[in-house]
Amino acid sequence: MKRFKPFTIALFVASLVFAPLFLNTYQVDVLNSIGLYTLLALSLNLILGEAGLFNMGHAAFYAIGAYTSAILNTRYQIPILWTLPLSGLIAGLFALVVARPVVHLRGDYLLIVTIGVGEIVRIALVNDVFGLTGGANGIFSISRPKLLGFTIRQPQEFHYLIWGFVALTIFLFIRLKQSRFGRALNYLREDEVAAEGIGIDTNYYKLAVFGLGAAWAGMAGTLFAAKMTIVSPESFSFWESVMLFMIVILGGAGSITGIVVAAFLVIGLPELFREFAGARMLVFGLVMMVMMVVRPQGLLPARSQQLSPTLLKESNR
Amino acid sequence: MEEFIQQLTNGLAVGGIYALIALGYTMVYGVLKLINFAHGDLFTYGAYLGLTLLTSLALTDRLGFTLGMVVLVLMVMGLVAVLGAILERAAYRPLRESPRLSAVVSALGASIFLQNALMLIYGARFQVYPDNILPTATLNIFGLYLPLMRVLIVLASVLMMIVLYVFIQKTRIGTAIRAAAIDQGAARLMGIDVNRVILMVFLLGPALGGIAGLMVGLYYGQVNFTMGWVYGMKAFTAAILGGIGNIPGAMVGGLLLGVIEALGAAYLSIAWKDAIAFCVLILILIIRPTGLLGERVADKI
Amino acid sequence: MKKRLLILVAALGLALGGGVAQAAETVKIGLMAPLTGSWASEGQGMKNIVALLAEQQNAKGGALGKPIEVITEDDGGDPRTASLAAQRLTTKGVVAVVGTYGSSVTEASQAIYDEAKIPQIANGSTAIRLTEKGFKHFFRTAPRDDEQGRMAAQTIGKLGFKKVAILHDSTSYAKGLADEANALLKKQGVDVVFFDALTPKESDYTAILTKLKGANPDVVLFTGYYPEAGQLLRQKKGMNWKTPFIGGDATNNADLVKIAGKEAAEGFYFLSPPQPQDLDTPEAKAFLTDYQKKYNELPPSIWAVLAGDGFRVAVAGIAGAKSTDGDKVADYLHTRLKNYSGLSGPISFDAKGDREGDVYRVYKVDAEGKFVLQKL
Repeated sequence: MKRFKPFTIALFVASLVFAPLFLNTYQVDVLNSIGLYTLLALSLNLILGEAGLFNMGHAAFYAIGAYTSAILNTRYQIPILWTLPLSGLIAGLFALVVARPVVHLRGDYLLIVTIGVGEIVRIALVNDVFGLTGGANGIFSISRPKLLGFTIRQPQEFHYLIWGFVALTIFLFIRLKQSRFGRALNYLREDEVAAEGIGIDTNYYKLAVFGLGAAWAGMAGTLFAAKMTIVSPESFSFWESVMLFMIVILGGAGSITGIVVAAFLVIGLPELFREFAGARMLVFGLVMMVMMVVRPQGLLPARSQQLSPTLLKESNR
Repeated sequence: MEEFIQQLTNGLAVGGIYALIALGYTMVYGVLKLINFAHGDLFTYGAYLGLTLLTSLALTDRLGFTLGMVVLVLMVMGLVAVLGAILERAAYRPLRESPRLSAVVSALGASIFLQNALMLIYGARFQVYPDNILPTATLNIFGLYLPLMRVLIVLASVLMMIVLYVFIQKTRIGTAIRAAAIDQGAARLMGIDVNRVILMVFLLGPALGGIAGLMVGLYYGQVNFTMGWVYGMKAFTAAILGGIGNIPGAMVGGLLLGVIEALGAAYLSIAWKDAIAFCVLILILIIRPTGLLGERVADKI
Repeated sequence: MKKRLLILVAALGLALGGGVAQAAETVKIGLMAPLTGSWASEGQGMKNIVALLAEQQNAKGGALGKPIEVITEDDGGDPRTASLAAQRLTTKGVVAVVGTYGSSVTEASQAIYDEAKIPQIANGSTAIRLTEKGFKHFFRTAPRDDEQGRMAAQTIGKLGFKKVAILHDSTSYAKGLADEANALLKKQGVDVVFFDALTPKESDYTAILTKLKGANPDVVLFTGYYPEAGQLLRQKKGMNWKTPFIGGDATNNADLVKIAGKEAAEGFYFLSPPQPQDLDTPEAKAFLTDYQKKYNELPPSIWAVLAGDGFRVAVAGIAGAKSTDGDKVADYLHTRLKNYSGLSGPISFDAKGDREGDVYRVYKVDAEGKFVLQKL
C-alpha cells in the first residue's frame, strides 16, 4: 500500500495552519478536540498498536495528568504549561506502578485489568481521594496558559498550541518507531515468544512502553485542563477510553497517519451528525460498524503487518 | 452475623444475574475469542421486549400466571436469540478472519447503535414494568427477610446454568461447540459445521442474556436503555474472574462478584464498592493469571 | 483509497462549515440540553417544553416583532461536548441560551457564553459555585444547593427526627446537597448516624439498605435522583423496613411512583420548587392545559419546567430591554425583572444571577401516588 505523498501531507499541514483564518470558533474548537484526541490516540497507539498490549483504560493516565496540572495550578499557582513535564512524569510513574504486576497477563485479561484501573481512578477522583481532587465537582478556575508572555484564551490560539504539540509528537514517534526500541515493540506484538528468543527483554519493553504512552497521555491531560479550565471526573469515564481504543484500531493499529484520519472521523463524525439531533449517536455506531466491516485491517494499516517478519527491517525505512 | 448472612444473600441474588449474562460472554469468547461488547445491550433488549410483550399481549391475564410467564420467557428468549444471530451475521462474521480487535471495535459500534436505537424507539425515560405481576411474599427465616422472588431468581439462574452445562457436556451440538472452542480448524476437518456452531452460540448466549433482562425487569421493575453497559461490564468482569471461556467459571465468577460487591459495600465503603471489586479482580488475576477456573493456554492472536 | 479518505476528511471539514446560510430574520434562542447520554430523558423534556412555549410565543407575535427560532444543541451530559455545543451556539448567532442540566456541564460552557456576551439561563445546575464567579451573563432558574440544604435541615427539624442517615450518589449535585444538609443538621444538634454514597444506575440497592437499616436512623435523607429513590423505596418495602425517606428536588418526577409502586412510595417526603399544578397563577394553569393537550401527560420533571421558565425569562428580558444586545438583556434581568410570574413561582434574580426568595416547598406522596403539597 502506498504511503501519503509528501504533497498530500504538505496540503494537510497547510490547511491546518490556515484553518483558523477560514473557520468559525466552533469549527476551530472541533479541530482542537480532534487534535487532543489525536494526541491521546497516538500515545495509546504506542501501547496498543506498536506493542500489542490491550489497554482499555487509557483515560486513567489522561486523568492523572489533567488532575496533576489542575492541582499544581490551583493550589500552588504554578503556570499551567510548566506543569506539563511533571504531569507526564506522574502519569508515567503511576502507569509503571500499576502495570508492573499485571503487564504479563494475556490479552483479554490485561484488557479487563486496564478497564479496572480506569474505573478505580475515576471512582477515586469522584470520592475526592486524599482531599485533592474536589470530588464530583472536580477542580475549577484553572488559569489560562501563558506562552512567552502571551495568554492563550481563544480556540484559535489553542489550535496552534495543540496541533503544534501534535506535530512534535508525530515527529518524535516516527523517530521512535524507526529506532531499536520501536522495532523491539513490533517484534513483541508479532510474536512474543520469538521476541524473547532473540534476546528481547519483553517485560522491560512492555513496562517502558506503558510508562511512555501514559506519560504522553498525562501531558495531553495538561493541555485539556488548560483548554477547559475545569477538570471533573465525567471527562475521564470509561467511554473516553473506549473512544481512544476505537480510534487506534480503526486507524489501523501502529499506523500514525491512520490514527490521525481516524481521530478526525471518531471525533468529527458525532459533530457532523448533530443535524440528526437525538439520533446522532445511532448513526455514529452504525458508521463505526460499517467502517470496520469494510476495512477490517483499519483505515490505513501499518505496513509492517503486511510483510513477513524477515522483511520487517527494511519496512522500517 | 445476621447482617452478614443478609448481605450474603443480597450478593448472591445480584450475582445470579451477573452469572447469567456472563455465560453469554464466555460462550462467544470460548468459540470465537471475541469479546462481544454488544452482549450487555442484548440483555437490555430482553428487558424491553419483555415489557412490551407483557403489556401489549397481557399474557398473564389471558393465560394465567404460570403459563403466561412460560410463554413470555420463551418469546423473549426466542426474539433476543434471533437478534443475537443477526448481530453475528452483520457485525462479526465479515470480520472473522481479521485481527481480533477489529471485531471488538465493530462490537462497540454495534453496542452504541443498539443502545441508541432503543432510546429512539422507547424514549429516554425509564420504562417501568407493571407492578403486582409477581407475588411479593417475603420469607422470614430466623429473622432474615428474604423476598420470595429473590430466592426464585437465584434458583432459576442456577437451574439454567446447570441445564446449559449438561447441554454443552452431553449433547452432540454441545460436543461440537466444545470442539470448535479448542480448535476451529481441526473441528472443521472432523466434519463439524463451524458456522452452525457459531450460530448456536450466538443463539444460546443472547437467549440467556435476554432472560436475565426479563428477570431484572420483572423483579426490579425499572429498565432503562443504558443499563446494558453497567450489567454488561459487571458480567464481563465476572467472566474474566472465573476464567473466560469456561462455563462453570462464569457461574462462579458471577456469584462471587455479587458477593464481593455486597460485602465490600457492607464492611468497607459503599461509594468505593466498584473500586473494591476491581481491586479484588486484579489481585486474583495477579495470583491466577487466567482467572479462577481458566485453563492455562498458549496465547494465539 | 487514500484519495477517497482525503475527500472524506475534506467533506467532513466542509460539512462542519455548513449551515451558516441565513434564513428570514428571526430572534434565535439557543437551548443546550442533554439529548443523548444518561440524562437524555431530562433533555428531551426540556426540548418539549421549550418547543411548546416558543410555538405559543410566536403565535403571540414572537419577540421584538420577529418570530423566535429555537436552536437546540446536544451537550451529551458531558463537559467536553458541552463546550463544543456552546461554541456552536455562539457561532449561530443566538441572543440567549437556555440550559443546561448538570452543574459541571454548565460550568464548561459558562465562560464561552460570557465572553460572547450571551445571557445563559441554566435550568438544572444547582452547584453553589456557578454564580460565585462573577459572570455577568449567567442566570439560573434552579435554586442553589445551600438553599435546599437549609430547607432540608429545617424540614427534618420540624418533622421532629433526631437520628438521620444521609445517602447521596456522588454526583456533584447530590454530594453538594448532602454536605450542606449534613453541616446544618449537626449544628441543629441532630445526630447524623450514616453518611455515604451509592452508585447510581444500578438495580439492586439491598446491600446498601441492609447497611442503612443497621445504623437504625429515624429518617433517611436521600439527595440523589428519582430512579434510585424509586428503587430504594421499592426494595425497602421488600425488606419490611418502615423508616421514612426524604428526598431532594431531583426525586420530583412522576416516574418515581411508577418505579417504586404506589404502596412503597406512600409517605415519601421530598423538597421541590412548586410544581405548576400547585400554583394558581393563570400562566401556570394555561401552561399545564396546553402541555397536556400537546403531549398527553404531565410535565415529566421540574427541571424541564425550569427550562421553560428560562425560556420565558429570556423572552421577557429581550422584550423588557427592547433589544437583543446581551449586555442590555443581562442588565434588565439583573435589575428590572422583579416577581415575574414563572411556571415555578415568582422569579427575580439577584446581582449574582441567582433566584431570589424562598423557592422550596415540601411534598409528600399520598396513597394514590399523588404529590401533595405540605404545610409545615
